[in-house]
Amino acid sequence: MINLVYLVPLFPLIGFLINGLGWRKLPKAAGGIIGSIAVLASFAVSLGIFFEVKDGASQTVTLFEFIHSGKLIIPFAFQVDNLSALFLLIITGIGFLIHVYSTSYMHDDEGVVKYFAYLNLFVFSMLLLVLGANYLIMFIGWEGVGLCSYLLIGFWFKKREYTNAAKKAFVMNRIGDLGFLVGMLMVLYNFGTLTYNDFFGMLKGGNVAISSSTYNWIAICFFIGATGKSAQIPLYTWLPDAMAGPTPVSALIHAATMVTAGIYMIARSGVLYNLAPFTLNIISIIGTATALIAASIALKQYDIKKVLAYSTVSQLGFMFIAIGAGAYTTAVFHVMTHAFFKALLFLGSGSVIHAMGGEQDIRKMGGLKKHMRITQLTFLIGCLAISGFPFLSGFFSKDEILASAYANNPIIWACGVLGAMMTAFYMFRVYTLTFEGSFRGTHEQEHHLHESPAAITIPLVILAILSIIGGYVGLPEIMSEHHMLGSFLSKVVTNAESHHLEHGTEWMLMGISTVLALIMMIVGYVTNKKPNFAENKGLAKVLENKWYMDELYDAIVVRPIEAFSRFADRVIERMGIDGIVNGVGKLVKLGSDRIRMIQSGQVGFYIFVMVLGMILLFAIGIFGFIN
Amino acid sequence: MKAIIAATILGVIMMFSSILMKDKKAIITIAALLLAVLLGVNIWDVMATKKGSNFTFLFNNMILISREGLWFNMLMTGCTFLYVLLSGKDIARVGTHTAEYFALIFFILTGVYLLSSYNNLLILFIGIEILSIPQYILAGSDKKNLKSSEAALKYFLMGAFTTGILMMGVTLLYGSTGTFELTRMDFIHQSSVNGMSLAGIIFLIIAFGFKVSAAPMHTWTPDVYDGAPTPFTAFMATIVKSAAFYAFIRLFQNTFGGISNHWTIVLSIITALTLFIGNLTAVFQQSVKRMLAYSSIAQAGFMLFAILSNNAVASQGIIIYAVAYSVATIGMFAVLMKLKDYTYDGFNGLAKKEPVLAFVTTIFLLSLAGIPLTGGFMAKYFVLQAAIMQGQLFWLVIFALLMAAISAYYYFRVIIAMYFKQGNPELHEPLSSGDKFMLALTCVLVVLIGIAPQLFLASI
Repeated sequence: MINLVYLVPLFPLIGFLINGLGWRKLPKAAGGIIGSIAVLASFAVSLGIFFEVKDGASQTVTLFEFIHSGKLIIPFAFQVDNLSALFLLIITGIGFLIHVYSTSYMHDDEGVVKYFAYLNLFVFSMLLLVLGANYLIMFIGWEGVGLCSYLLIGFWFKKREYTNAAKKAFVMNRIGDLGFLVGMLMVLYNFGTLTYNDFFGMLKGGNVAISSSTYNWIAICFFIGATGKSAQIPLYTWLPDAMAGPTPVSALIHAATMVTAGIYMIARSGVLYNLAPFTLNIISIIGTATALIAASIALKQYDIKKVLAYSTVSQLGFMFIAIGAGAYTTAVFHVMTHAFFKALLFLGSGSVIHAMGGEQDIRKMGGLKKHMRITQLTFLIGCLAISGFPFLSGFFSKDEILASAYANNPIIWACGVLGAMMTAFYMFRVYTLTFEGSFRGTHEQEHHLHESPAAITIPLVILAILSIIGGYVGLPEIMSEHHMLGSFLSKVVTNAESHHLEHGTEWMLMGISTVLALIMMIVGYVTNKKPNFAENKGLAKVLENKWYMDELYDAIVVRPIEAFSRFADRVIERMGIDGIVNGVGKLVKLGSDRIRMIQSGQVGFYIFVMVLGMILLFAIGIFGFIN
Repeated sequence: MKAIIAATILGVIMMFSSILMKDKKAIITIAALLLAVLLGVNIWDVMATKKGSNFTFLFNNMILISREGLWFNMLMTGCTFLYVLLSGKDIARVGTHTAEYFALIFFILTGVYLLSSYNNLLILFIGIEILSIPQYILAGSDKKNLKSSEAALKYFLMGAFTTGILMMGVTLLYGSTGTFELTRMDFIHQSSVNGMSLAGIIFLIIAFGFKVSAAPMHTWTPDVYDGAPTPFTAFMATIVKSAAFYAFIRLFQNTFGGISNHWTIVLSIITALTLFIGNLTAVFQQSVKRMLAYSSIAQAGFMLFAILSNNAVASQGIIIYAVAYSVATIGMFAVLMKLKDYTYDGFNGLAKKEPVLAFVTTIFLLSLAGIPLTGGFMAKYFVLQAAIMQGQLFWLVIFALLMAAISAYYYFRVIIAMYFKQGNPELHEPLSSGDKFMLALTCVLVVLIGIAPQLFLASI
């Protein structure tokens, strides 16, 4: 089965080609069917691979030699091991559910076939990203998902602000990608390889004469790449804007899979990061700051998808807190549970938006639970899971993150608990405003309210079940001796060594964070039962305006760059470069005009030129010989 | 060896076929069939020798059979086959003696085979003459056209002059070494060079330079290529020129390779001059056919790098270059022959009227300009890599790259005319599906060389 791993990305690629080439001609329904079947087939193969890997098989499958230039050899190879097998399941499994969901959600859209082509291309790229056996293949996938994200955010390209959001996402990702690229080149320069096994083997062997500052620089460059893709400070502002895309896209790309690429990359490179403790500290700080800032912004947003977007940024921050503590498996655990409940929440919000006829403002919702029971129940499960309600999936992974943070530094733990409290609050604020109370929209909207069709509710139910039970693969040490996910990943991912927490401490930490989260859930519910949308003042207004982060970036980055561009355009480009380029062109034309005079058409003259040339060549040849 | 005999016999058969049938289509079919047979013989030749086997000498060491030479023969015969399939109809349109034209092409191939296997300066001389004389006839085959006759006469006069120079070189080498046989000429030690042999070598450089249209011996090229009937220009500019280059590199790499320090400077000047004149003059042309003539001079400048570099990569490079350049140029000329107007303006608006034709033309031009993913890129890559490995040609390589940038100008002008200008290009006759298939096949070949050049070197 492992040898068939190439099938996993191949199916979505075929789906992409069929849908992409035939998007003008294929009937609307065909696009969804082809797209979904392609991903389902990949899921089936991934399952087979997963169970073989679980039984201890793992190998590198080389398809062909990709680049061979001098000493540099980069094979096109896939790394099938515990880490990639887990990601394969998440990507294809959730990917399939979201494809099914999309068949209903995007049903009326004109470009539905094109949409599925993009979605398949995304799955293909994401699979390349996690399957690659070297950084270059990962980078191909990395760029591929960036492209698909751009295409899908701007899917409704007729609205200018949507295309602007797409551009913003693309540009911010590119900034991060540059970091990744530089990191890759540094690895290549210092180690002469990009293949994981060789690179990590050298690192583990320890007999490379490379200073620790080099490790740190490489690790920081990779982390810059991760901040772009996984929306961390300072490159996070694209993710909330990315909500311009269709909601299933937000669920798949901007919650469950693509944004976790940065976590995957660092978990994959754990050996490197263990050698770069300074970088881990930076990651801790950035992760904590992102978790807090994003959560605080989410407190005061009114767009249901924006809340979820900031929540995603904040949860990604939590994952980076775990990484900063060297607990890569914990981060991957949270990636998995987060994929379940955040996909669920996004799809739930999509169901709501669908019922509301495109309305996303929670101030105009309320009381929807009477009309859409399944959506409401599943959404509630999602909220409970993300808020850390005991024994749901988010509870276990978040607890593990907080425990690792405490072992790292109690201050980070405190910040994490604060973030978790805000999470519980804003999630229940959204839930209450949407589903409880009485309806605040127009009469027409109320008339239109209905539960979504089965293609939407079934994925919701499946994800809800996963959100409930998904945490049991990673029970904490105090409850069970066996951390299934941890031991599964430990073959590939090496966590940094950390000092162990006492059981008593761990119980206490868990207790504190759980009780605080429960309180905040109740507060969130009670305060928003009878909402009051007075204009925000003071801090609340700052939060509503996202800490004025976009305005800040505009002032300190965008405008200076624009000013510089204008200067480059008017002075350097038009006066300098154009002058040189046109000058060279004119010179060539002038030369051409002169030289063609040799071509007089007279044979006598031709032979004369030839003889003259001969004499000169003889002179030079013989002169050289004599010397 | 079988191929040399087969090409001669098949040429004679071809010539007499016109007695039996008058129908032009039948003659084209026969030509294609006989060429297929010849290609088969070539493949048989290649298969009969083992990979990595030593040389075989024939006819009192006059001929040296090597796997590489046979492989080159096969590729060139393949290109000729492609050429006849693409342009057979256009060849028939030149004049009344269709069968003779094809027969001459077979005789030229005999010359090609001799040039890839000579081991004796006299065989080299005979090979070059067998290669050249049919060309004089082909250049003048459009008898009613004054330009064609003028081209033939010019070519013949200057060719005769060069034959004298070639003979002079051979004589001087014989005088200094006492033999015509290449494997017995000892130029391994520096001490074995004297003024007489060096003069002979320079004479040979000039004679070869004339055949491959290197500056300053290039002056005949634009007039002859422009004046000759277009189908024959296509043949002259590709297969014939490649064969001359192959003969050139065999002599200078194997026999004179040990004393390259004495002739490198002369050849470097020729290379620089060829690149400069070829590319610069092409810029000003108004006729695409004439532009292609200058472009063939410019391309020759790149092929000269293979001879200058004098290493193993260079001998691979010359084969890749020969194939890539030949296929793209044959294709480009095939497109040109479909059009009535050969000027740039004649291409205006082609993309709207004949999108397939415009697309394949674009690919051919991209290949000639050396854009990645096409054969032309790989060809340039190989020869320039060889030049850099040689170690002393760095500045010449930079110069060549600048010249390649200029070449993009005149190649892309055609693309701009096809895609961005309005016009109503006239074709001789509408494209048949067979034409389209052959053009598409050529196009695929161009890309294949660009992606997997090793395929064309695999069996050496």
